[in-house]
Amino acid sequence: MSEAALSIKSVDKIYEGRGKGPVHAVKNLDMDVQRGEIVALLGSSGCGKTSTLRMIAGFEEVTHGDIVLEGRRVNQMPPARRKVAMAFEGYSLYPPLTVRDNIAFALKSARTSAKDVQKSVADVAHILEIEPILDRYPSSISGGEQQRASLARALVRQADLYLLDEPMGQLEPRLRAILRGRLKSLLVDRRMTAIFVTHDQTEANALADRVAVMEGGVLQQFASQKDLRERPANLFVATFVGEPPMNVFESKVVNADRVRFTIDNGPTFDFAASDIPPSVRAAIGRREKVVIGVRPHAVRLGVGSGDARIVSNQWLGDQSHLAMEVAGKLMVAVSHAPIPAKVGERLQFGVSALDLHVFDVGTSAALSHGLEAA
Amino acid sequence: MANLEIRSVSKEFKTGKVLDRISLAADNGEIVAVFGPSGSGKTVLLRLIAGVEQPDEGTILLGGRDVTDRAPETRGVGMAFQNFALFPHMSAFDNVASALTAHKVPRDVIRAKVEKVAALLKIDHVLQHAPRELSNGQKQRTALARALVAEPKILLLDDPLRNVDAKLRYEMRLELPSLLKASGSTVLYVTQDYKEAMALGDRIAVLSDRNFAQIDRPAEIYRTPATLNVASLFGDPTINLMPVEPWTSSAGPKIGIGGAELSLPPGYGHMAGNACVLGLRAENILVEDMASPESLPVEVVAVTPLNERTLLLLRTDDGREILASEAGTNEAPRRHGPAFARFDAEAVLLFDPASGRRIVPQSA
Amino acid sequence: MEHVSLPERVVRGFLIALIVLFFLFPIFWIFLMSFQTNEDILRIPPSLFFTPTLSNYSALITGKLVSTAGTLDIAFMKNLWNSVLLSTASVFIALILGVPAAYAFARFKFRLGEDIAFTLLSFRFAPPLLVLLPLSLYFQQLGLTDTYIGLIWVYQLIALPLILWIVRGYFEDLSPDIEYAYRVAGHSWWRTFTRIAIPLAGPGIAAAGLLAFIFCWNNFVFALILASAEKQPVTVGALAFVTASGIQYGQIAAAIVLSVAPTLALALYAQRYLVEGLSLGAVKG
Repeated sequence: MSEAALSIKSVDKIYEGRGKGPVHAVKNLDMDVQRGEIVALLGSSGCGKTSTLRMIAGFEEVTHGDIVLEGRRVNQMPPARRKVAMAFEGYSLYPPLTVRDNIAFALKSARTSAKDVQKSVADVAHILEIEPILDRYPSSISGGEQQRASLARALVRQADLYLLDEPMGQLEPRLRAILRGRLKSLLVDRRMTAIFVTHDQTEANALADRVAVMEGGVLQQFASQKDLRERPANLFVATFVGEPPMNVFESKVVNADRVRFTIDNGPTFDFAASDIPPSVRAAIGRREKVVIGVRPHAVRLGVGSGDARIVSNQWLGDQSHLAMEVAGKLMVAVSHAPIPAKVGERLQFGVSALDLHVFDVGTSAALSHGLEAA
Repeated sequence: MANLEIRSVSKEFKTGKVLDRISLAADNGEIVAVFGPSGSGKTVLLRLIAGVEQPDEGTILLGGRDVTDRAPETRGVGMAFQNFALFPHMSAFDNVASALTAHKVPRDVIRAKVEKVAALLKIDHVLQHAPRELSNGQKQRTALARALVAEPKILLLDDPLRNVDAKLRYEMRLELPSLLKASGSTVLYVTQDYKEAMALGDRIAVLSDRNFAQIDRPAEIYRTPATLNVASLFGDPTINLMPVEPWTSSAGPKIGIGGAELSLPPGYGHMAGNACVLGLRAENILVEDMASPESLPVEVVAVTPLNERTLLLLRTDDGREILASEAGTNEAPRRHGPAFARFDAEAVLLFDPASGRRIVPQSA
Repeated sequence: MEHVSLPERVVRGFLIALIVLFFLFPIFWIFLMSFQTNEDILRIPPSLFFTPTLSNYSALITGKLVSTAGTLDIAFMKNLWNSVLLSTASVFIALILGVPAAYAFARFKFRLGEDIAFTLLSFRFAPPLLVLLPLSLYFQQLGLTDTYIGLIWVYQLIALPLILWIVRGYFEDLSPDIEYAYRVAGHSWWRTFTRIAIPLAGPGIAAAGLLAFIFCWNNFVFALILASAEKQPVTVGALAFVTASGIQYGQIAAAIVLSVAPTLALALYAQRYLVEGLSLGAVKG
């Protein structure tokens, strides 16, 4: 078995609070990243992803546990010795140096020949489209340009691991899409191992081989995007991954000759026992209440046992987003054609057993996805 | 009579001209989305209307009155800033109430109005907190409440959902339209997200290159964008653009792509011999296993999921890269390899490369 | 991110102790001296052990110095009062003038704005002796010599630049959007200034005022030349202890302790705000 490039073993990070008490930012994190793999740490602000990145880099001390880089335990090693390159969220370019000198700075310290330095700088500047600003100073370029320069500075170095903190956060959508493609090619071509932090799922999906979803300091699921989308481990991942978010409802369940889900103050979905595999029925067990989830594109419109009032109907050019009032909440359905229904009208809807995700009410853990037990 | 009107307004800063003689009229109760890339002057426009900045030339009329030289506190608009701009030393309640305290409204009336708006925006339980104790979503809704509470005739919302996390942003996108319509105000809603603009606006004013490139209903802008620039600002993934030169044939105008000959609708016949730019949206390209008339051979190079659709990166025989998208999430690996792409001819857009303007097909 | 080894920590602690000793020793010694009689002070070798006496303090407070040469009237309490009056009044006026000016510099871009601001700051750097001679001549002509008003006016040279620079930094740190939001909500410019700008810059204003107070209190040269015994603050008043019958070290020490006590107490109480006030104004972003 090949050595993992990075191994995080049971790591905790606790910040001593001033006046507010200690903050447990990262809880018992276990994660392995293989060489050449691109991993995204995805989560909302405060979930622990940036703390994790900083611990890997060496800018934060590990409270408990170990960080192992290429087989070496590096907890006490200062950042400069870890052979790790990091691009920071706050740009952090040196003001008195031009962009070119900023990027070249990392290489000059490694004693590379001047010609090689120039070539490396030119290459990375071309990829990130910052050639026009190479000879400007950080104070005279825009936020997006500063961010790309900071990224270039990290990518130009030779390191075992590249850590990128929200690498494209400041860029506008069009540029982001272009640069994402280029960045991915660069990382793949040079077989770089990279971990980047983001709160943007599209970015995580586009760049990463595997995505680690974090919330409240706890790793929720570490899997490919396909698995995150089709087999979310718990309710948080299910509603976090995917736009629009998965529709979830609390429902009573009857697991007998027929398998029936009754949403409180809402519709009932009824399936013949033969339509539901035994493994799924076993996973649901003798529970009386569960949480069911169905993705917006899987809501069948026009047929079914549900019936709801339309609250909004938005056509976004290539798809329709329809919101209906179900059980006091808004349920969203996505269709790839315009839907002629008007706001205020009622529409029928239904769900197939293939598209139903079931979660435990107490633990939020997934019980089944469609026809597979979780 | 339009409730909000700006006539030939210009604004220049040391860094250059930001707005060049732009004009816009919004009717009573209308929601106009002001959309454009960052730095295009959308925020400047709102600030000019609010009175926080002064235009170099032009007039601003609110409710028919010329307010160009009037101070902000006299204009009677409600504004929600991009970075919330809440008063850190006041509670959320006082923040919202500040829009009423300027006008000698009795305390009990203030309390009633603030609580009503807070209930509507679901922040009634945090009204006594200071801004730093609120989550981003709560701050955003407090800023919105402050703009709404005095029931202003004109509402200026500067990208209010920008700093809010994705899930809440989507929720607000669903709830905002009915909320804004219920308020009855004329709304200018600034955003950088074209989906938000399409979801919220009765009309969209596309601001780019110092002026409005197009002001129209969302579906019209998407279907018939006025310029190349507008076309590439709408659509995810970005519209495919290919330089072509049509020629006339017995079957009508044709273009050549990737070694195949494809027909254009007859209305483009007058463009024969001229260099044009072909615009084709990803969703209007069908990828099939079998050849058919009017299809071109391609190689499927990459397959990625994108928001409940599947994105296919195609490479033509002459090395061009085209993005096609289909409904559903079928990413079976066997899809890599040779295939055939067919365009929906009716959805094709043609642009003049020099000016960027869309070429309108002529009727026979 | 501390990877500090034990020997490093020991050396660091030792060096810090050395520096603290260097700066605090004189203060400690003077504090001791204030409780000693002149004989104890002048004894050779000096000793740490003595019977403390309050005679120095009582002499200051009652205003009478009893020595071998007879009784002398000491106006120390009057000097203390002068210090309080001059410093407080100067800071008060400097705040009234300086805070709106700082706001103007921060918010409004007018021609030569930066140049004017820098000129005002340069007054801090100029040695007072530079202006002293011309000033004393002008004062005589204007009849301002030996008046409180004259001194308070001159003290603006000390207090105003300080307040301008620190408070301007604070106003610049406030996002202008917060003030715009208040104005769009319907409030006039003046209400915005008093209800939003000033409260939010409060810590900076307090810190600047505190610092200006300390600097005014410590001023020696202006008061020495431009005032007489009646209007002198404690800095100058301490000279009175150099008498014909010898230098009364004990009383000087007691006078110093009493002079330093108010500002020391203020600084200790507000030290956190002082550091915050000084650095926040300087660093942007």
